[in-house]
Order: sequence, then structure tokens, then C-alpha cells
Amino acid sequence: MPSERASPGLKIAAGAGLAFLHLPILLIFLYAFTTEEKSYQFPPPGLTLKWFAVAWNRADIWPPLWLSLQVAAVSTLIAMVLGTLVAAAMAQSRFFGREQVSLLILLPIALPGVITGMALRSAFSVVDIPFSVWTIILGHATFCIVIVYNNAVARFRRLHGGVLEASADLGANGFQTFGYVLLPNLGSALLAGGMLAFALSFDEVIVTTFTAGQQSTLPIWMLTELVRPRQRPVTNVVAIVVVAMTFLPILAAYYLTRDGEHTAGAGK
Amino acid sequence: MTPDPTPAVEFRAVSRHFGAVRAVDSVDLTIAEGAFFAMLGPSGSGKTTCLRLISGFEKPSAGHILIHGQDVSDVPPNRRNVNTVFQDYALFPHMTVRENVAYGLMVKGVDRRRRRDKAEELLALVKLQGYGDRRPGQLSGGQRQRVALARALINEPRALLLDEPLGALDLKLREAMQDELKALQKRLGITFVFVTHDQHEALSMADSLAVFNEGKIAQIGTPEDVYTRPKSRFVADFVGSSNVLPPKLTRALGGPAAWASLRPESVRLAAVGPVRGTVSAVRYLGAGSRVVLRIGEVEVAAYVPAGDPIPDIGSEASPVFAPAALHVMEG
Repeated sequence: MPSERASPGLKIAAGAGLAFLHLPILLIFLYAFTTEEKSYQFPPPGLTLKWFAVAWNRADIWPPLWLSLQVAAVSTLIAMVLGTLVAAAMAQSRFFGREQVSLLILLPIALPGVITGMALRSAFSVVDIPFSVWTIILGHATFCIVIVYNNAVARFRRLHGGVLEASADLGANGFQTFGYVLLPNLGSALLAGGMLAFALSFDEVIVTTFTAGQQSTLPIWMLTELVRPRQRPVTNVVAIVVVAMTFLPILAAYYLTRDGEHTAGAGK
Repeated sequence: MTPDPTPAVEFRAVSRHFGAVRAVDSVDLTIAEGAFFAMLGPSGSGKTTCLRLISGFEKPSAGHILIHGQDVSDVPPNRRNVNTVFQDYALFPHMTVRENVAYGLMVKGVDRRRRRDKAEELLALVKLQGYGDRRPGQLSGGQRQRVALARALINEPRALLLDEPLGALDLKLREAMQDELKALQKRLGITFVFVTHDQHEALSMADSLAVFNEGKIAQIGTPEDVYTRPKSRFVADFVGSSNVLPPKLTRALGGPAAWASLRPESVRLAAVGPVRGTVSAVRYLGAGSRVVLRIGEVEVAAYVPAGDPIPDIGSEASPVFAPAALHVMEG
């Protein structure tokens, strides 16, 4: 007989599992306020807000933050245009090899980041493209497209194919159909896909490592900062910023797509 | 000699092939202006493709389509003076009922006030006054279908195409809508082209109809023509509950050696006759009974009026009928 209530043992195990997943994140927040700057010791000897001021005044934080924002914004934009077009094509036409093409589109997100990174890096050097902001953006766009595509294609499937024909039947040209019928129905899915893509790009490390030149994005800056003993809590302050920049869009995306079937690309 | 009035729709040897599939195979068809025309057929017979050829969502692989005398081969759907009531209605989910109905005027750039007035006028026509501010999702199936109808009529098309518009409604609503559509067509005086797989719907509503089979028109004519004088076994089978007699049996019953159809109402049972059969089923219908005789491999239904003796199942009887009741078919 399946029991209605979980046994106490299972409850404890589940609680412990969740705690193991999330307590370390709380620790990161906590260490942003510690007075000890050389090592992470628990419990913190004292609490202070000064690291926020220190982080604000550190000149080496701003360029990586700016670069990360730039990369995330541009790759999201590229992904939104290309991802929507691909979704439209895949949802509205039937052609030979359609399933295979669909798999190829999804592949970048299933492929380990190191493979994507290596492949892009060797491809860039083969055709002699110097590493720059644009190579990072291209790298990020490969997986951002998948996120946007997944969201858009789900909405396309839900959208009654007849509404586009109905619009044309009533005299609308292609642009009118796009603006009055397609976009309003696709809007929230695109916004959600875009936000997830932005969040994903903003904290990406692996592909960035392979495709960046001298520049470092914010996550890369954090990685290099962790091995230095100087002003450690500053990294934690930045971590809080990263959480805010990635968690809030994901939360918003969740609420935007909650009403419909939700197929945001999870995790990478 | 006065020229014929221009037909609303004319197909000249129109074909539409999808790869090897001949969805529409060299169809000639004329639909008179102002007619209530039904395209009847099983699924996959080409009737919906024909409708989509008229609306412009399919292009003919061969042949020409004329709408009100104009060759529309190069005219896209948004420039054709026909509108469609889609199967499942295809209402815009993000717009109100009024915005849905007024859509055709909005894309033409008609000002807001005129749009609103005209939309209200059409909502009144389909008996949906006061529903303008609702969303399609808040309406019942029957109401959605009325919105679809109002939306398709707002551009005042000369021909209205209806793709199985009643298919999603329950029986009672469907019958009510049949009467209403018929009345609406009379009132507007425009051509209705109606696709359905329901023979009763086609027979009761249409002025004339085409029966489709495998991409071709099996028969075209008035409902009475098609029902009482089916041209082929397929039409007899699909359209009515007529008896279909194979050549041998037709001959044994006094006709030529050809396939023939025979309506049960014309058949009586007698103790003696040229052919004997065994009663295999009896169904009481109120005003009479339907009795099925099994003659070898063939079943022949007869109609026994109330008051006449009803034979027992398993007993023997002979079918008799007036020679004129036998309708010989082409094949």
C-alpha cells in the first residue's frame, strides 16, 4: 500500500539533501560580510559592510562586469533573432531530415562545454579569427540559441496554425500578421527565453575560457581572484551581484512561462 | 442569346499533387454565384484541398482557378475577395471578440470608430450582442463559431468558405446552426462553399453538392440527384442508405447486368418473387420497419410500412419493386 505521508526518515533525508545543496550558497552570502579577509573561517570573527564599498572602488571589477553584460546582451539578442527564426521554420514546415536538424539545433546544450569550447577555439584559429569580445559572443550564442529556440518552439506548437492563415485570409500582409498575431502570442515566450539565455551567458566559464583572448568576463575574474589571498570577501560581494543578475531573470522567466507548458532549457 | 452569369468559382482541370499523392486530380467544377454549395467526401478525398485552393492557401500544380471570372493563380490569399470560417475557428486568442471580428477592417486601415460600429453590427447578425469585450477563451464552442462567422463576413466577401464549421459542435447545436447558416446565406445572398464529411448535413443544407472521392469528383448535382440517382457505387454507399446491387442480382431481379442502386423505401416484401432471401435483421423505425434480407452475399434492405405484417428473422421472403425504382449506375 502506498502511504499518503512520507516516513520521518525520508523527510529528514530530503531535508538534509536540500540543505547540502543550498547551505553553501548561504555561506557565500555570509562571507561577503566577514571581517576576516585572508581565509574563509567559520564562524566569521565579525561582520562588516565595508567590502561592498571596497568592491565598488576596485577598478579591476568594472571592466569584467561591463564585458559580461555586453557579451550576455549581444549573444542574447543574436539568439533571440536566430532562435525564433529556427523555431518558426521547424514548427511550420515538414521536410526531409527535420528530426535530425532539430537534434543538431539542440546539440550545443547537450554537448559538454569543453567540447564546444575546444571546437570553437580550433575553428577560430583555422580561419584566423583573432580572439576578441566577438569570439566570446559567438561562443555564448551557440547555447543561447537553444534556450530561445526551446521556448519559442513550444509556443509555436501551442499556437493554432490556423491563426496565421486566418490573418492572411482577412487581408493582412506578412508584416501585419507578424506584428498583430505572431508577436503578441510569442512575446512572453521570447522574453522568457531571452532572460534565461542572458542568465546563462552571464555566468558562463568554460566556453568563455576557450574563446576569450586577453579579456576576462566576471566569472573568469572571480575564478582568478579566488586563488589570490587579497581581499577575499570582495569576490563574495561580486558573487552576490552575479546571483542577482542571473537568478532574477530566471525567476521572471519562470513566472512568464508558468501558464503554458514550460520548456526552458534547464542547466548547462 | 444572353451570356451565362459569371460563376463564383470555376475550376478548370485543376490538380494539386503532394509528391506522389494526387490530393486533387484534374477537377472541373463550377459553383454558381449565390449558391449554397457543399463539398462532400470522406477524409482525404480532396474536398478540403479544393477549399484551400479557392482561399489561396494551396496553389494548383496544374490547371486554372477563376473566382468571379478572374484567374487567381497569382493572387495571394490576402488579396482574394473570399473569406474563410476555419475548422476549429482559429480565433486570435489574445484579442477580444470585437477585435477578432474587426480584424479584417483593422488591417485595411479603417478608423477605430467605423471598425467598432461594423463589428457590433456583425455581432448582432450572429446574435452575439454584448459579447464584444470577452476573450475567445471565455466562450462556448457554439459562440466561438459565431465569432468566426462574423469575423469572416466583416470584409463583405462575395463568397464565404466554410471548412467543416459544425464538426466540433454537439448534435443539437449542430442542427440549430445548420438552419441558421442556411437562413444567413439566404439573407446575405452571397455564395457559401461548405466542406463536410456529413452526408446529412450536405443533403439538407446545399443547393448543389459535389461528392469527392480520391481527388476526383464522383458526382455533382442537386441533393435530390445525388441521393436518388447516384452515379456510382461509391456515391450510393457514401451518400445514402441505398441498396447497392451487383450486376448478377440486378439481372436476376429483372434489370440489366449492371451495378444498380435501389432505395429501401421502394422495396416491399412478398411471398413469391424472382429471388428469395432470408430475413436477417428487423429494425423498428416508428412509421414503419426496416427489414434486411440476405440474398447470398448481398444484403437488401426493404421498408415495411406500419400495419403490414413484419416477417420473423430467419423466414424467407422475396423483394419486389416497381421497375422504375431500379437505378442503374456507371460502376
